[in-house]
Amino acid sequence: MNKMTDGHTVKSFNDEMNQLHQHVMQIGELVRDQLSRAVDSLKDEDADAAREVIERDRLVNELDIQVDDEMVHIIAKRQPMAKDLREILTVGKIVTDLERCGDEARKIAILCVHFYDHNTTSPSDVILRDIVKLSDFVDSMLDKAIRAYDELDLELALETIRMDMDLDTEFKSCLRRLSTFIMEDSRVVGHVVETVLGLRALERIGGHAKNIGGYVVFLVKGKDVRHEDLETVAAEIQSAT
Amino acid sequence: MTFQIDSGTDLPEREIDIVKESVSADAYSKVNRDDRKTVGKITHVDARMTCRNVNVYYGDKHAIKDVSLDIGKNEVIAMIGPSGCGKSTFLRCLNRMNDTIDSCRVTGDITMDDIDIYDKKMDVVLLRAQVGMVFQKPNPFPKSIFENVAYGPRIHGLAASKTDIEKIVVTSLKRAGLWDEVKDYLEEPGTGLSGGQQQRLCIARAIAVNPEVVLMDEPCSALDPIATAKIEELIDELREHYTIAIVTHSMQQAARVSQRTAYFHLGDLIEVGDTDMIFTNPRHQLTEDYITGRFG
Amino acid sequence: MANSHKYTTHIVRAGLEKRYKKEARFRRMGLAAIIMGLIFLSMLFISIIGNGYTAFWQTFVQLEIHLDASVIDPERTRDPEIISAADFGGIVKKSLRDMYPEVSGRRDKRTLYRLVSSGASYYLQDYVVANPEQIGSTIQLWVPADDDVDMLMKGHFDRDKPEAERRIKDNQIAWVDKLVDQGRVESRFNKTFFTAGDSREPELAGIWGAATGSFFTLVVTLLLAFPLGVATAVYLEEFAPQNKWTDLIEVNINNLAAVPSIVFGLLGLAVFINFFGMPRSAPLVGGMVLTLMTLPTIIIASRAALKSVPPSIREAALGIGASKMQMVFHHVLPLAMPGMLTGTIIGMAQALGESAPLLMIGMVAFIVDIPTSAMDPSTVLPVQIYLWADSPERAFVERTSAAIMVLLMFLITMNALAVLLRKKFERRW
Repeated sequence: MNKMTDGHTVKSFNDEMNQLHQHVMQIGELVRDQLSRAVDSLKDEDADAAREVIERDRLVNELDIQVDDEMVHIIAKRQPMAKDLREILTVGKIVTDLERCGDEARKIAILCVHFYDHNTTSPSDVILRDIVKLSDFVDSMLDKAIRAYDELDLELALETIRMDMDLDTEFKSCLRRLSTFIMEDSRVVGHVVETVLGLRALERIGGHAKNIGGYVVFLVKGKDVRHEDLETVAAEIQSAT
Repeated sequence: MTFQIDSGTDLPEREIDIVKESVSADAYSKVNRDDRKTVGKITHVDARMTCRNVNVYYGDKHAIKDVSLDIGKNEVIAMIGPSGCGKSTFLRCLNRMNDTIDSCRVTGDITMDDIDIYDKKMDVVLLRAQVGMVFQKPNPFPKSIFENVAYGPRIHGLAASKTDIEKIVVTSLKRAGLWDEVKDYLEEPGTGLSGGQQQRLCIARAIAVNPEVVLMDEPCSALDPIATAKIEELIDELREHYTIAIVTHSMQQAARVSQRTAYFHLGDLIEVGDTDMIFTNPRHQLTEDYITGRFG
Repeated sequence: MANSHKYTTHIVRAGLEKRYKKEARFRRMGLAAIIMGLIFLSMLFISIIGNGYTAFWQTFVQLEIHLDASVIDPERTRDPEIISAADFGGIVKKSLRDMYPEVSGRRDKRTLYRLVSSGASYYLQDYVVANPEQIGSTIQLWVPADDDVDMLMKGHFDRDKPEAERRIKDNQIAWVDKLVDQGRVESRFNKTFFTAGDSREPELAGIWGAATGSFFTLVVTLLLAFPLGVATAVYLEEFAPQNKWTDLIEVNINNLAAVPSIVFGLLGLAVFINFFGMPRSAPLVGGMVLTLMTLPTIIIASRAALKSVPPSIREAALGIGASKMQMVFHHVLPLAMPGMLTGTIIGMAQALGESAPLLMIGMVAFIVDIPTSAMDPSTVLPVQIYLWADSPERAFVERTSAAIMVLLMFLITMNALAVLLRKKFERRW
């Protein structure tokens, strides 16, 4: 409940907007939970927990569809204007990004199943260390992005966008590190390739979090900054705040 | 976030002040009485009518407070705002319909093609031939459809012969998109048409005297959605030939038909700007609250 | 919640019966008022028609008249002028004497002559002038009976009363009975009533003179009051500024509508007759006085009609660039016309029924001639009624009622006309 959704003369409009907002938050929480569970299953070498994560992705999809439905209804019934309109457009995009995040979490869970379900050899902890490390970083990005949306906090949004650059560097260094493993021992190629896919999934989640940060800027300022460089975005946020 | 100042036009000193003045979205709620500045660009590159510092008083009541606004050529400008905000009053200043109210007093400059329309030498009849008006309630004369349209050209002596009059009537009805519906019933009374047809007849009547500007005072408020859609389509077509200023209570309508929108609040012109801008990202808190249904 | 709803319903229901009763009582009271009104109205109509319908019939007596050529046209010129100059009164008297040879003595003979109207000689004159070839022969001619005989035939005199207490004497009754026995008495449609002017003799008196007088008076009133009233209303409503002066004028106009009409009569007497020296008893002056009286009515009705023209029409006209005058004359006035006409006709009807102011300007005089112009002395219908109501003869009682019926007919016609005009004009728009 914030100034984007409140204050309409028609009280039920407030309720609908707030419900929409709550559902977005709900998806956000769920996706973050999925991510941490997927990474945990990898840490614990628990293929069953990973399967549970894969199963739960359906929940995310259902919530996504439900939110889309609510948006259509609000647009049809209320003809939202200005910030109401932006809120709804933003919600639509955030939800899409969150749903993709859910898919990426699922990919990590699938990775876990591959590694530990069959009687294949498990990868060494050294190889998987990067995934755990990167997942903490990505989770904090996602958290910041969702909070930025919840509190309409431009600083948080900007931070999310900024963190994406760090994530990029981090991802690249991880790749370099993994390539040294292959050079050392070509038998780990299979594991390394799968791990790279997992890292890639995490990197994508970071990208989605960055997008959400951009949407929040659009929501508050009415200006689309997704494809601007960081300085421009920062300047935009600074102006008239 | 800055306003784009149109550097192509040379604005007088004061107007640049207005344009520069920016009010943040967070500078909340009440309009400060000492700080009445319109947000947005009041000027238009190709202005048909210019209003500067217009004040209107009804007796002691200050109905319009220091409003400055350009109305551009071939544009549709919508005026929105809560009831009693002065948008209709402002519209009626543009063809001096307020003259008929004894207690009404207008100060400031309203010019049309550089001629002050409130000048003593300005003839009201001539002005109203140049600035036509369509009213809230369809008000065809209780005469035949033909006579309704022919009346204006006839009193202004625009047609030399009967065939000329007929030509004008046909063109006007065609432009108003009514011709196909009424061509076989020209001698029927105009009051027998449906509400939407009546309003289009009124538009035909207004454009029959070939005005430069057409003022519309809530032209669709008494009509059903289909008739409204037809009028809106018509407004869009008429833009090619005329300048249109429309007052409306329906924000959706303003958003649909206009290129520029002006938001009035308690006699102040709060914000004016491109319609696309006003309805997606208004700059003034009052505008935003109004168009998102947060008061009034 | 449910309980409180139930409770409310209970209270409402308890009060319902009382409310309905109140409503029904109010309706009954309204109905009773209307019925009372209708009863009084029908009483009025019954009494007027009951008194008056006999006036449309007149008793005629058939006389056997010898048209003595030596009396009528001794030189046989057949010249209508010479014929008209003959002593037809003498001939009528002679024929009566011939019909009742037993009557002798001056007094009895004079009573005998009063069997037929004094107008009988004019009937005879008309007949002979029209049929000069009948001179010298004996004819049977129907002439109007005297009003007393008429009353006797219509049963208005009680034969059982002592002779001294009735207007008609025993011997007259006997003569009339003899005529009846011979089939020489007949009741005919009273054409005279609709074609003649006033007369001292009821059987010769008619309302045509008064009706023509009323007509001329109303024409003058209409010609003066309508344009003046409409012009005033249009000016006050559309052009005059709203200030103290127009307010004052408005208040005065409204007051004038309530001024007793006799005051206008006094004004007319003082100004038109005494100051301007206009003729007395003339419909012209009467019309001018009635104009003064009806003007406020017309102005008020016209202003109301103008006010009722929707402002949207004015705005439409102004918005298209019509001048104020074009707006008024092209749009407002045509729309207000039905209302104005209605007001005018109601004012005219009022003027038609007015007598008091006309008494003051001398339209109460006894005038036999039928006026031919607005300058001729004349009287009007209500004054005629007043005059007849004042006359002692029994026959005038029924003529008074008949005249009232005619006046009422005129009023109904005018009001119907008002409704008709309004309907017609309204349909045009």
